[in-house]
Amino acid sequence: MNKKQKKTIIIGIILIAMVLILWIVQGGEIFTKTQIIIEKTTDLDRMLGIRNKQFIDKFVFGLLPSGFGSVMEFLSAATLGFTIIVTSGFLIYLFKNKKKKTL
Amino acid sequence: MKKTLNYFALLLFFSAITFAQGFKVKASGEQTFNFEDQRGRNQASFFSSTPLEDITGLSNAVKGRVTFDVKDLKTIKGSISVPVSSIKTGIEMRDGHMHSAGWLNAEAFPDISFDIKKVADIKSVADNKLTVKVTGDFSLHGVTKPVVAEATLTYLDESEQTKMRAPGDLLGVQTKFDIKLSDYGVNNKLVGQKVAEEIEVSVNIVGSNAK
Repeated sequence: MNKKQKKTIIIGIILIAMVLILWIVQGGEIFTKTQIIIEKTTDLDRMLGIRNKQFIDKFVFGLLPSGFGSVMEFLSAATLGFTIIVTSGFLIYLFKNKKKKTL
Repeated sequence: MKKTLNYFALLLFFSAITFAQGFKVKASGEQTFNFEDQRGRNQASFFSSTPLEDITGLSNAVKGRVTFDVKDLKTIKGSISVPVSSIKTGIEMRDGHMHSAGWLNAEAFPDISFDIKKVADIKSVADNKLTVKVTGDFSLHGVTKPVVAEATLTYLDESEQTKMRAPGDLLGVQTKFDIKLSDYGVNNKLVGQKVAEEIEVSVNIVGSNAK
């Protein structure tokens, strides 16, 4: 393994680690979300004895994609990790030493 | 004499509990509350757990009416319904599967409904707040079964604060009950995940008696 290949592996590992850290920071959700539920209970709601929750648009980076309808739904730790692994593998193949032809 | 007074006080206390059948508010007579909220603040939700993650489904398109005598909640009648297609879980693909023929079949069975049949165990928490056991027919996926739910009803007379939500007196209803999916012929597999057989249904709605 040459220097370029080693560098590619290290960068790949660092990128995958960053993706995993991002996933954990985002709450460690299994599926990517484009909407989340938030509490919107008002004082009047409390007087009426009810709770009010609503969906709002918010992106949450998950471990697995939640769909294929949009880039946001498709974005996940698994898809990014897979892309990094494939790209790294391709670069490692490109950087392999070419043996000099000898007579 | 003292003993007689004690008995009398005790009798008054028990009659207050036994006859706590309605609200002690300004309004009187039969009132009809409409739960349709154009701003989508009324909601019905379900909670289910799967091996991968918990799912909360939410609909803000609750509609329905209840009518009752303010002083006698046992007279209550009415129904609440939710369009299946309005239930969202935060993941579009999952929503699509949930509404499809393989699951809740929104096309064939467009509404989930609860028809009130009777109330019992009416307990007064405050003058404007009662807890009751509501028995009703719960319809889901074309199957109707009786369900008993604990509910809390809160009555607010019209005020400057209530007008911010809707004109008229307001009735807040909060209830929670469990259903089994198999009872309603629902296949409990959602996007390849096996969801819990028992689903918790919650309703948080406010109705107005404004005409």
